[in-house]
Amino acid sequence: MDRAIVVDHLIKNFEVNVKKPGLTGSILSLIKPEKKIVRALKNISFSIQPGELVGFIGPNGAGKTTTLKVLSGLLYPTNGFVQVLNYDPWERRTEFLKKISLVMGQKRQLWWDLPAIESLELYKEIYELPQHDYAKNLEELVDLLEVRKILNIQVRKLSLGQRMRLELISALLHKPEILFLDEPTIGLDVVAQQKVRDFIYDYNRRNNSTILLTSHNMDDVVNLARRVIVIDQGKIIFDGVLDNLVEQFAKEKIIKVYLSNEENIKEIERIGKVRNISYPLVTLSVPRQTVALAASELLQNFPVEDLTIEEIPIEEIIRTLFKKSAKNRK
Amino acid sequence: MKKYLQVLKITFQQELAYRLNFIMWRVRNVMQVFLMFFLWDSVFSDSSRQFFGYNRSKMLTYIFGILIIKAIVFSSRTIELSGIISDGTLAQYLLKPINFFKYWFTADIASKILNLSFSFVETILLFLIFKPEIYFQSNPIYLLLFFISLLIAVLLFFAIVFLINMVSFWTPEAGWALPFLFIVIIGDFLSGSVFPLDIFSKSYQNIFYSLPFPYLVFFPLQIYLGKLSISVVINGMFISLGWLIILWFSMKYVWQRGLKKFSSEGI
Repeated sequence: MDRAIVVDHLIKNFEVNVKKPGLTGSILSLIKPEKKIVRALKNISFSIQPGELVGFIGPNGAGKTTTLKVLSGLLYPTNGFVQVLNYDPWERRTEFLKKISLVMGQKRQLWWDLPAIESLELYKEIYELPQHDYAKNLEELVDLLEVRKILNIQVRKLSLGQRMRLELISALLHKPEILFLDEPTIGLDVVAQQKVRDFIYDYNRRNNSTILLTSHNMDDVVNLARRVIVIDQGKIIFDGVLDNLVEQFAKEKIIKVYLSNEENIKEIERIGKVRNISYPLVTLSVPRQTVALAASELLQNFPVEDLTIEEIPIEEIIRTLFKKSAKNRK
Repeated sequence: MKKYLQVLKITFQQELAYRLNFIMWRVRNVMQVFLMFFLWDSVFSDSSRQFFGYNRSKMLTYIFGILIIKAIVFSSRTIELSGIISDGTLAQYLLKPINFFKYWFTADIASKILNLSFSFVETILLFLIFKPEIYFQSNPIYLLLFFISLLIAVLLFFAIVFLINMVSFWTPEAGWALPFLFIVIIGDFLSGSVFPLDIFSKSYQNIFYSLPFPYLVFFPLQIYLGKLSISVVINGMFISLGWLIILWFSMKYVWQRGLKKFSSEGI
């Protein structure tokens, strides 16, 4: 098996009822429902190697979750070819289901009224795990995610962060070859986010499992995935290594200078575009090719105390990317 | 097989997690029996009387029988299905290597076992309070037919509830109303668990008998009470089996259609 996931010219359309506002609208939609086709995925193609950790980024409604649902077999593709571990996901064969897992940050799969350990015992039987494997996996996961103390508490009484970690355990008990994570850090505080992120990273390296992660939280993707797929309005607008994204889309670099006095601070504008002045720090952006020249000019003509050259933050690049694609649509 | 044992176990725990709910449900059932008991007890105050082919002991047995049979036939977890469909939790079940029908049937069995054990205790208590005359069926053939009809009733109820709950695939908003109406109106009334159906005129009875509902409670009880001739019993068995086959296949068919809807719109 060479590729874990193959997606070729995938199209997914939804049919939704449109309701005009107000009571008249409600009545009208009862009598004559108005249908509208929503094109969630417009012809996307990509493939993923075993062991890769790939991040899906895009604004809300871009089609991230839809893609994961098609890949895990919940949605039937309108058109195109999808293969996961050489299975057609839509058939949802038992052998296939035993090799994948889908975690949705907003949906829960643990029994609400019972302690998590009860749900885990059930999953042990559902996935037909031998007692030995189950005990070993559980032990390992419980340690990694630090949840030993909360295993026996009713799930409803736990905090969101605790629950998310338990959800992860329930999704990983059967050691899936492919893990789909949909917004795994949604609603978590910064510390909890970091815990989940560290764990995902670690899990991917330990087990060489393929992980596909969606998030609108840039930190997740920047910290976890080497490869990102940027998706917007149902189309892939970038697919590749994170660093290339920077090179390809960041035409400028950022120079930060600390000045020792304010004398000719106005003239600094001719060196490059001033992004921000908060004396003594001045932030400039200059074209990539001329960055060395700009730096030397700064050093010669200005009272520079310190100077650094940086890449534009990835979040910003992605933001401009989305803006650009929004403009193209108009 | 072991997976379904675990499903059984977790459903028990879940039912017990909602202790108050469960107890209120039992209280409701007992109250119903109370009411019927006093009604018929006064009707049959002269114990030599006969109404609609019931004497006092058979009528009281019918009422107590309802308590037990309802616990076996009507106890169900599948009534939650509409909620699971409309809030999208269904996705989680679809991604597990487990047979959806077997899962819910197992959950139903857990609920039935729990309700049945409670209804036994209740029956004994009520028996001690009222000391009614109870009719015991001793003919093994009738007892056997009684158990077969009970099995059919359980499967029929499962298929009906499953079918009705699947309406949520198409109208997620109205999901719970229909199952509720079914249980209150059809379940209680047409199945004969409010009063025996043979107090109606013959023409009404014929209509009832051609529907699947009397086979849920009324028919098994009639067999137990020995009120039907073997030929009528066999005839009824065929009708209920026919319904079972029709409903079972409809259930599978609607399920496939519903899944398609679910998977093309991602509720």
